[in-house]
Amino acid sequence: MTTEENLHDLAEYVIKYGTSLGADQIEAYTIFGSVKSIQIERGSIRRFTDTSNSGLGIRVIKNNAIGMASTTIFTEESLEKTIKDAYALAEVSPPDPNFKSLPYDPRTAPTISGRFDKTIVDISVEEFTDLILDSIQKATVREDAIISGNFNAGIGERYILNSEGIDRFASQTSVSGYLGVKIQEGEDIGNAYYYDAATQMKNFDHIKIGTEAGLRAQKMLGSQKIETTSLPILLDPDSAYGTISPILSSGINAFSVFNKTAFFVDKIGDAIASSKLTITDDPFIPEGTDSAGFDDEGVVPKKLSLVENGILQTYITDSYTAPLVSIENTGHASRSSFASRPRPSPYTMNIEAGSVSKDDLLADMKEGIYLMSSSIHSRGDNPQVSAQINQGFYVKDGELQYPVKNAVIGCTIFEIFEKIENMSKETENRSGHEAPWMLLSPLRVSGGK
Amino acid sequence: MLDILEYVINKVSLSSKDFLDIRYAYAMGESFTVRNGRFDSVSNQTTGGIAIRALIDNAWGFTTIVKTDKESIFQAAEKAMRMARTGSKYTKQERSISDSWVFEGKGATTIEIDPRAVDKEVKFEKVVKTEKAAREYSDSIAESSSTYQESHGNEIIINNKGTKVENETHVIRLMKNVIGREGTKMQSVFDSAGGAGGWELIEKWDPEEEGLKAAVMAEKLLIAKEPPSGKMNVVMDPSLTGVFIHEAFGHACEADAIIAKTSVLEGRIGERVGIEEIYVYDDPTVIGLRGSFAYDSEGTKARKRVLVESGILKEYFHTLETATALGMEPNGSGRAMNFNVTPQARMGNTYVGGGDMKIEEIAEITKDGVYLKDSYGGYVMPAKGQFYFSCQMGYFIENGEITDMMGNVGMSGMTLEVLQNTFAIGKPWEPAFEGTCGKGGQWVPVTGGGPNLAVSNLVVGGTE
Repeated sequence: MTTEENLHDLAEYVIKYGTSLGADQIEAYTIFGSVKSIQIERGSIRRFTDTSNSGLGIRVIKNNAIGMASTTIFTEESLEKTIKDAYALAEVSPPDPNFKSLPYDPRTAPTISGRFDKTIVDISVEEFTDLILDSIQKATVREDAIISGNFNAGIGERYILNSEGIDRFASQTSVSGYLGVKIQEGEDIGNAYYYDAATQMKNFDHIKIGTEAGLRAQKMLGSQKIETTSLPILLDPDSAYGTISPILSSGINAFSVFNKTAFFVDKIGDAIASSKLTITDDPFIPEGTDSAGFDDEGVVPKKLSLVENGILQTYITDSYTAPLVSIENTGHASRSSFASRPRPSPYTMNIEAGSVSKDDLLADMKEGIYLMSSSIHSRGDNPQVSAQINQGFYVKDGELQYPVKNAVIGCTIFEIFEKIENMSKETENRSGHEAPWMLLSPLRVSGGK
Repeated sequence: MLDILEYVINKVSLSSKDFLDIRYAYAMGESFTVRNGRFDSVSNQTTGGIAIRALIDNAWGFTTIVKTDKESIFQAAEKAMRMARTGSKYTKQERSISDSWVFEGKGATTIEIDPRAVDKEVKFEKVVKTEKAAREYSDSIAESSSTYQESHGNEIIINNKGTKVENETHVIRLMKNVIGREGTKMQSVFDSAGGAGGWELIEKWDPEEEGLKAAVMAEKLLIAKEPPSGKMNVVMDPSLTGVFIHEAFGHACEADAIIAKTSVLEGRIGERVGIEEIYVYDDPTVIGLRGSFAYDSEGTKARKRVLVESGILKEYFHTLETATALGMEPNGSGRAMNFNVTPQARMGNTYVGGGDMKIEEIAEITKDGVYLKDSYGGYVMPAKGQFYFSCQMGYFIENGEITDMMGNVGMSGMTLEVLQNTFAIGKPWEPAFEGTCGKGGQWVPVTGGGPNLAVSNLVVGGTE
């Protein structure tokens, strides 16, 4: 099942067979993935992995009730059983009055450049290993550095067909890797990691993975506990994206909005953040790791302004939730796996930069915390935040003093958004996510001292 | 299937120091969720395939296939061996699997009522009534949901050292999640029942009572006080003790992290890590618990693991590789989520042994601090020895008395400090936290628990 034709035939078969059983509507979602992985342990190769996986998810609608079934086994017997299972579940399930229809979208999905790189498909194990060994060498900042990690290179394909006429195909390549470095001096441990991901080999910075992981581990030596107090927090771009993105994802997805559990229910047109926050969601960034010409139901999305100067502009929707919140389908259906029901989720958020230099943001900080790849966010549906500082530094008079250990930031997600004091003019792209440095007014920091 | 796997094992050309195992894994699951009065998801899931690992000249090769014929499996085995041989050119460490451990047998989860034989309407009724009871309790309940899950798995594991094991697992779970909301204040209450077994594990779940209990708590939490911030004495209920010991200590005992030199517990077997009264164990053989199994995914027979006895570190969680590397005995900890991944050293049911103090006595000697309840998840960085875990709710302890209620909060601690800082151990309680533990992208069912446990100097991340 490695060719487009096979997966398409399979999806078509599902639609035809399900319809013949009596399904009112039916959808087939198929994926194929092939990945080479290399695991690093104590600075050298531990394991080579080469796997190819396929999966099929089926949604059947009968009398407005929905049944779903999935399988990784593509024999005729297994396929028939899976279709029948989905149909049988739809037959016994109570109808969902909120379900309107599976989507149809006649538009041609835009082609996003740079989502496929034959170099990644063709790379040999030896070539990939050489690249990883370079990365390890850079991470070896000391003889006794303990280096571990994992690198992946692969291709993914997906087909989405439904009985309403959706027929989409997309493929993409990806290469990713991380290294963790541990340095120990007696009981003092410096431990850090760095990662990168890209759709094009030319954008994959394996040297930086090693260099940064090693440097950061050295910086993390000498960590200290701090007193409990309230301090301003400066977030590096990775921390800023990792903080803002999940909060907004939970806060404006129309499924949670409809259920009244989204953070920003009934807030379109209202201020949900400081005026420094402006965010767009862009599905079409060339070479973007999260870019897509259509969503996980086959609907073409568009670039959306989500927050403008702190004012919420819209929610993100899919075919199920759009009518529930009276907003057009924005094409944000996303599945956590081929077996899952889609829910709205953003593509790539673009956090608008400010006008101050990042160096000035730090230099002006009398006392505070600098977070490095350590985001502050809550558990999905809960606005209360208790976030441990994983990689952070105590700052005094504009200088990093020492890494912080055993400390937790306590606040709410509303406070985080309200306390955005400034953004840097510089941005940094990590794994396709571009963000500036972000300064927050004082938040409560619990320390172990 | 066993005969096909045996054929392949006998056909591949391996030297006596090489290792190759073939694992057939097939699983079927059924799940459904009712959310705010509507069926949100009703689904069946089937996964199946074959995983092949080869360890040759100190490096591993791993591949998977879904075809189950002899020739395809043989070709895949050859591929795994080729990858291992290529890897061996680059590796600097020695790795091997001892010939000493050969397991043969069949294992199966004890099951009284097969959920597959239970009518769907009966299953639906459990979630529908649970969800409804919570939703209708009050207007402050923003979302009520209830989920039912059952899964049934078969594994056949065979290796060139002689292991031949067939293992059957059945896991069932019924969950409720209630979210209360007043303006911007939201509080969640989650609970579940079930384990490794059949319908008998959830048959006694009273939907109305369970739904109502969650809703009442969610509403109370909306007017509860904000949690405090800072370093303080923390008393944990059995559920929180479970997630605490899992995150604070269990992960650091996983021997794949030990041989990778990324755990602070490396080289500490025989050393004091806690007070004399501390006893920590993990037992995947307890019938009915969610983290129980008869054989692990390498075919090793599961057994009880004593991690800490009288405050002394005794044992790690081993795979065949880690046991060989450290010259210890494998203890059935090599768990794999499905056929697509390799076994890792994992926990099963991790518990702290009980003491003899009542909660009132513990509060009295705690004097000032917090009494926190009900696990809300956590994580650990074993290399750094720093962990995080959170609770759903709690109470203040003031002048030795348990007083006002507080909302959810997270805590941070240091692995090498917490068991030394334990100052009171309560009477053993049976309720355990039932969770799904993530590591390296793999999720496996686990439980944890123990008595009420009091620890000083934990950092509580509240807002006040």
